[in-house]
Formats: sequence, C-alpha cells, structure tokens
Amino acid sequence: MAGCLTRDGAFGNPGSLSHEYGDVAHAAVEAARAEVAAAAGALPEDVVWTSGATEANNLALFGIAHYYRSLGRHIVTLRTEHKAVLDPCRELERRGWRVTYLDPGRTGVLNPAQLGEALQADTVLVSVMHVNNEIGVVQDLAAIAAVCAAHGRVRLHVDGAQSIGKAALDFTGLGLDLLSLSAHKAYGPKGVGALLVSRRRGVQLTALQFGGGQERSLRSGTVPTHQVVGMGAALALAAAEWRAEVPRIARLRDRLWEGLTALGGVLRNGAPAQSVAHLLNVSFAEVEGESLLAAVRPFIAVSTGSACASAVQEPSYVLRALGRDERLAESSLRFSLGRFSTDADVDAALLAVERALARLRRIGGARQP
Amino acid sequence: MTYNELTRRHFETAAHAGTLSGSGVRRGAAGSRAMGTWVQFDVRWRPGAAPQTLDAVRFLAFGCPHVIAVADWIAQHAAAAVLPGLPGLPASLPELKERFAVPTDKVGRLLIIEDAWIAAISPPSPVDVSGKA
Repeated sequence: MAGCLTRDGAFGNPGSLSHEYGDVAHAAVEAARAEVAAAAGALPEDVVWTSGATEANNLALFGIAHYYRSLGRHIVTLRTEHKAVLDPCRELERRGWRVTYLDPGRTGVLNPAQLGEALQADTVLVSVMHVNNEIGVVQDLAAIAAVCAAHGRVRLHVDGAQSIGKAALDFTGLGLDLLSLSAHKAYGPKGVGALLVSRRRGVQLTALQFGGGQERSLRSGTVPTHQVVGMGAALALAAAEWRAEVPRIARLRDRLWEGLTALGGVLRNGAPAQSVAHLLNVSFAEVEGESLLAAVRPFIAVSTGSACASAVQEPSYVLRALGRDERLAESSLRFSLGRFSTDADVDAALLAVERALARLRRIGGARQP
Repeated sequence: MTYNELTRRHFETAAHAGTLSGSGVRRGAAGSRAMGTWVQFDVRWRPGAAPQTLDAVRFLAFGCPHVIAVADWIAQHAAAAVLPGLPGLPASLPELKERFAVPTDKVGRLLIIEDAWIAAISPPSPVDVSGKA
C-alpha cells in the first residue's frame, strides 16, 4: 500500500492510461482485482470497487431495485441483517417498494422453505447476510440459492462482509448474483470494499453515482490504488490461511465459552453448530448491560449487544429477533477472536468478566426483585 | 458512552454497596429490574441523636454506571450528615445531573433513585428489618 503513495511507486491514476504512471497503477489495481476475485471464487470482471460493504450493499439493493423495477417491486430479506441492508430496504419502502423481513427464529438460521414461501411473482431481490456480524451464524447459501433459482427471475444478493477468512465462499459455484465484501473485516485497510456483480449470470444494475464511468460505469470515481492493493493482499492472505486458522480459533472460542459457562447465568446466542469460530455472543443474566460493558472495558475490547443510538443504549435488534427479552439482549457481549488471539487473551477475558459479574451482581443484589 | 471522573470513581469502587440489618434500619426501593433500573437504600438512624441524623447508609442498584455512581455518592454523603431537608436527597436532582454529567435521556433514572431514597427515609420512624432480607 505504501508503495502506491510515493513517487517511486504506483502513485499514478489507474484510470489514466495515456502514460506509464497510470499503466503501473492500473496493473496494481487489476492484480488486486484478481486477488479479490480469487478469494471469493469469482471472476476478476465481476469485481466493482467500493468504499466498503455499506456502499456495496446500497449499490446492490438500490441498483437491482431500480434496474428491475418494471419486473416487480418486492424484496425479501431478514430481520437480522446488518443496518447497511435494513436501512436501504426502509428507504426503498418509502419509495414504493415492498419488503418482506423474514424472522429466522431462535437459532438465527433461515429455513429455506420459509424463504420459498415469502417469494412472490413480483419479487426481484433476496438479500441475505452469509455470516451474521453479531452472532456469527452462517446461512446455508447453497439452499437459499436453490430456492431463488427455482423461483426463476429473483436475484440473490449476499452480504459477505464477515465471510472472507471465516467461512467457505464460492461466488460462482453457489450461483450468487451479487456479493458485498469489505477489506477491514479481513485485516485489510478501512475504507475499501467491493461489490461482486456476476457477469456470467447477466446481472444488471442501475448506477448510483456518475462522473467518469469507472468500474463498468457502476461506480464512477478514481479508484484508490493503495486501498484496493491493500484489500487484494488482505483477502489473498485470508483465503490462503483461514482453513488452517479456524481450528485454533475454534479451540480458543470453546475455551472461552466453557469458562463463561462456569460463571453461571450465561446464555449463548445463535446456533453453535452453524456458527463461525470467530464470534461468541453471550447474554449475562442478573446484570445490567451498560454497566457490564463499562466494567470490562478497561481490561478487554468487546462489543455490547446494545446499540448506542443515544445516551440510553438500545438492546440489539438482532438478539431481539432471536427472541431474547430486552434485558438479556441488552446485557450481552460479543467476543471476537481472530488471527492474533491467544490463550492469554482468553484468560484475560475470563478474569475480567468474572470480576465484573461478581461485583455487579453483588451491587445489584441478585436475589432482589 | 463516556463517564466523568466522579462517575467512574463511584462506579468502580461502589464502597457503600450492600445492606444493613438490625434495629433502626429502614429500607426503601424503587424501579424494577425488568424496566432496567432498580435501586434500594438501607438507612440506619443514629440512636439517641436528632431524628434527622443517619448513622449508616447502604445501597443496592441494578442499573447503568450513572445509577450506581449516584446511589453510592448519596450513600456516602447522607451517612453521618444532618439532613435538614428531609426527606430530600443530599443534593438536588439538577445538582446530581450536573455533578455526574448524567445525560438528559437518563434523568428518569435519577427520579428512581430519589423515589428509593424517599421510600427509605420517610416516614422517619425506624422499622426493624433484621433477618428479613
């Protein structure tokens, strides 16, 4: 990446092919495009660079909705999707589209038959997250793609921001139409991602921004060479190493869960057998969520199940969709493990949570109403 | 969410968390766990002293760090202090809000603390709650 920012490197505009500086940058961009495509089982020409998965999701949803609006105005997605999918869906509803939000139930795993029942004659798009960012549940993309294929003309978009480096993903083999990717979820730079748009399947989109015609005219704007080079390298590394990493990370995750279980009053969110190794989402009974996070925050970096939209935290809508009551949805912690996690990290996390729980449960008088 | 130094200190130490028992102890609570905030105060009147003098105060709280910190501060400052304005708090709600930098969205939680406090200290006649935790 650094080599793309200095005069002796690929600092030219990759869209300016009238000089050698541009040629060098263009070659770097295309090499990165090939790396990203290979990591996801796609063709290089499927890759459209974006600023991240949020933009990719927006381009997929608005792009498909508008291009195929003469065929229908119905979209199907899940209640547990990322906001980068749910908010565009809400906006499309305001513009006259209908959206069905499927409830995946307590496990968080979508029943493909449920999807089949939701598809209608005018359904043009199904949008599903491969790996849920809060609970780590993996959706059965093959089964979902089969339901969509049986329907005929519905396009299938997958938010794969959490997939690369965590689960098997074969864009072409699964018959996906669109796939959103993010670099930073695979240790790449922030501010870059991609939308994979299947050329083989003849997927068409209406562009959302104009001016320059870059990226097949689907995403005008100068391609940030250093960012996409970083994304290519990160995804290539992730794709090469994830199968070897997963057993080690799964062992750490299991150790962490066993330790937390011993503390009592803990509930695991999502379906353990259908989850990635990297995420462990746990609700803690008899403790208030904001205080729990504040108590462990000086010692470990975890995320809460709450969203802090204002000064008062709101319980996670994903956990609420799974059927957790408001208090348990609020008092949950999401532990993320990764390439650099160690047994010592697990020990530190367990100690921090154990001390916080004991203290807060004592202050809260656990046996009081 | 960020907290000011006073909030962090009282949340992290919560030195006055607990319960009291024995004669002269009165208990008051407000809120509910199901609603996300519950506070209980135990107060013990100083025997033979003026009726407004508290000998000890302890609290229990299920709530956010602001709730725990404010309850702890009240327990600390009410004990051994003559409270001329009974049954009020040792500081007014606006003062507590400013002192602990409580966000406006959370002011309702201060009202729960106040309700628990009032329930604990009024009426001032002592009630024996020993062995009735």
